[in-house]
Amino acid sequence: MSTERTRILVTGGCGFLGTEIVSALLATKRYDITTIDINPPALGTSTFTQSVRYVRANILDRDALQKVFDEAKPAMVVHTVGVYRLGTARYSMKNKEGEFTVNVEGTRNVLDASKECGAKGLVYTSSVTVVLDELGKDFRNVDEQWPTGRAKTSYGQSKTIAENLVLSATTASRSFATCSLRSAPIFGPNDPTVIPTVHACIAAYQTPFVLGAAAENLQDYVYVSNVADAHVLAVANLLNSQTAAGEAFFITNGAPVPLRILCLSIWKEFGHVPAFEVKIPEGVAWWMGLEIGM
Amino acid sequence: MVSPKSIAYYVFHPNELRSIIQWKVWHNPVHERDEAKDSENLKRCFHFLNLTSRSFAAVIMELHPELLVPVTLFYLILRGLDTVEDDMTIPLEKKEPILRNFQDILEKDGWTFTENGPNEKDRQLLVEFNVVIEEFKHIKPAYREIIKDITKRMGNGMADYANNAEHNLVGVDTIRDYELYCHYVAGLVGEGLTRLFVEAGLANTALLKKPELMESMGQFLQQVNITRDIKEDLDDKRRFWPKEIWSKHVDTFEDLFKPENKQKALDCSSEMIYTALTRADDCLYYLAGLREQSVFNFCAIPQTMAIATLNACFQNYDIFEKNVKITKGEACQLMVESSQNLQLVCEVFKRYARKIAKKNNPHDPNFLKISITIGRIEQFTESIFPSQKPPVDQKSPASVEEAEKAKKQAYEDRWDLIYMTAAVILTVLIITGCMIFVAYLAGARFDIAYYELKQQVGELLGWIEPKAKAVEAVKVVTEKSEL
Repeated sequence: MSTERTRILVTGGCGFLGTEIVSALLATKRYDITTIDINPPALGTSTFTQSVRYVRANILDRDALQKVFDEAKPAMVVHTVGVYRLGTARYSMKNKEGEFTVNVEGTRNVLDASKECGAKGLVYTSSVTVVLDELGKDFRNVDEQWPTGRAKTSYGQSKTIAENLVLSATTASRSFATCSLRSAPIFGPNDPTVIPTVHACIAAYQTPFVLGAAAENLQDYVYVSNVADAHVLAVANLLNSQTAAGEAFFITNGAPVPLRILCLSIWKEFGHVPAFEVKIPEGVAWWMGLEIGM
Repeated sequence: MVSPKSIAYYVFHPNELRSIIQWKVWHNPVHERDEAKDSENLKRCFHFLNLTSRSFAAVIMELHPELLVPVTLFYLILRGLDTVEDDMTIPLEKKEPILRNFQDILEKDGWTFTENGPNEKDRQLLVEFNVVIEEFKHIKPAYREIIKDITKRMGNGMADYANNAEHNLVGVDTIRDYELYCHYVAGLVGEGLTRLFVEAGLANTALLKKPELMESMGQFLQQVNITRDIKEDLDDKRRFWPKEIWSKHVDTFEDLFKPENKQKALDCSSEMIYTALTRADDCLYYLAGLREQSVFNFCAIPQTMAIATLNACFQNYDIFEKNVKITKGEACQLMVESSQNLQLVCEVFKRYARKIAKKNNPHDPNFLKISITIGRIEQFTESIFPSQKPPVDQKSPASVEEAEKAKKQAYEDRWDLIYMTAAVILTVLIITGCMIFVAYLAGARFDIAYYELKQQVGELLGWIEPKAKAVEAVKVVTEKSEL
């Protein structure tokens, strides 16, 4: 039975999103899954040791990576590995090498290894930041027609370069087909980013302050299982009709709300509702940020 | 009647007063109607229309002439049906066959109904229902079929409810029941009207292929009314708020009105408002399918009134104590804004959605759901009226060509501008030359003009001493000119 199943390799399969993707792929009962990660599955996260092969590997180590790929012989690769920085560091262009090395060089290595081992394609986990990180700009209801390459953050730039590498790897004959899934900020159980960051505002007494248009501007977010489902669909598409080949897609909940609303909703789950609100105009906020920064 | 209270109100709300004046003075119906040509029967029908519907009569009367009579009759027929259904003094065995066969009654010459209780406000319509039937014969067969079909389905739906003892005793149970009830009394009206619009060629036929849109048009209006009329309906011993919703907040329906449950009642009302609000984006989508201005106004005005009413009811405990209404000034402003174009109506929806968002508070159990619904309204508006265009992608070859073209265009434009300027200057010079030449032929003394000019400019700039010298000079010159 299992020999008839299509082999899939997931990079970063022990991460927050990776775990969810592995779980969603397993649920289809159509795939045989190999997962590589720099870390073994963390305690408390769901693992599937019975049905999934876990291999420890670093995507920056080309030779080791090739060996794993040659052994696993995947028909399709799902590449979720990526690094990002949090807080003010996200907006800094200093020390950006880490992001560029893992996001760009890592992706190049995974692409090469995939082609070399005879895979039919690759699904790449990108990010909406490839378009939206042109800071200080509004993007109202933008779609995939919007060009990339204007991002101002190191993360957005590194993801853009990697995405271009991935998309241009699609061959004319479709013998190798790729697509890129640009995920909105992901939240969900075990989420290492969105919920902890928002939650941290409570202890820092920051919850009453509303910056700029945070109470009005709509923003997209996405629940982790929705992103995982998008990956499963992309894998199936590239293995069959290949209509997604060479394309990039925004992946969101389709339910945009202002950032302020998301924060209030999360805080309320922790039993906190700010007793009052202070609106800080955008200009003032920039100057205050400068003060604190100095 | 203008009460001192309303005078005081408009002193502090001059904007609303302005809207009332604007609507009363400047609003012209899209289609003027010549009442003198109407038959006696038809006049009687319009008389009933004005009697039975306060809000709808105005918009119906301005409809496209093709649909004015069919829609008026459609309205009166459904109102007649409703008057039979509503009347609790008619025994069920008498009521049911009338409800179920109303579509056939429409073809019985001279049919009238005099058995309504004396307190039924629209009983006179049924007493003289023969005039409606008479006029119904004269409209196009296609319209007749649509009206009969809707009447049949609505009559049967009403009969089912009249037979349903549980519904009469405890009111609406689940949200599904609630929506089904709204379907019978309003969703079907949306369908009937849409079919009439399409039949008359005044709406996009695609509207019939998206039945959920016309359903939402009716659902939105009906749900807003049910939400707002909670107190009035309670007084009339009717319950339309579904148990599935209120039971999340209170144990019995009556508990909603107890002062100690104030917060729970508000939470419950915001769930009702949320349920209605989920239909709002569909309504905008529907309005986009209308082709004719009077039909657009007819549909848009009630919808913007409805979202304004939702805003007035949101987080407002008054709805449990009295009938909450939007002010007359607000209503007039909405009518002005809703009788123009879709973009303005979208702006109205967005404006009220944001007002609702402002009052939304995190303690409300439906806080996030309401926000998501409001986001959907804004996103839909942005999707049909995008405020941004994608920037030119410098990388793609297609856009390189485009950029080249734009550059060439700009170059041509610049030369066009230069030629135009040169032509203007040349024309002015030729005309000036001609004028000077004519003046010369007529004996103009350019030497004096030149001297005067020099003198004046010199004085102005302070090169030449004014007064004495100037006067002398003028003297000299005038003497000279006499020669």
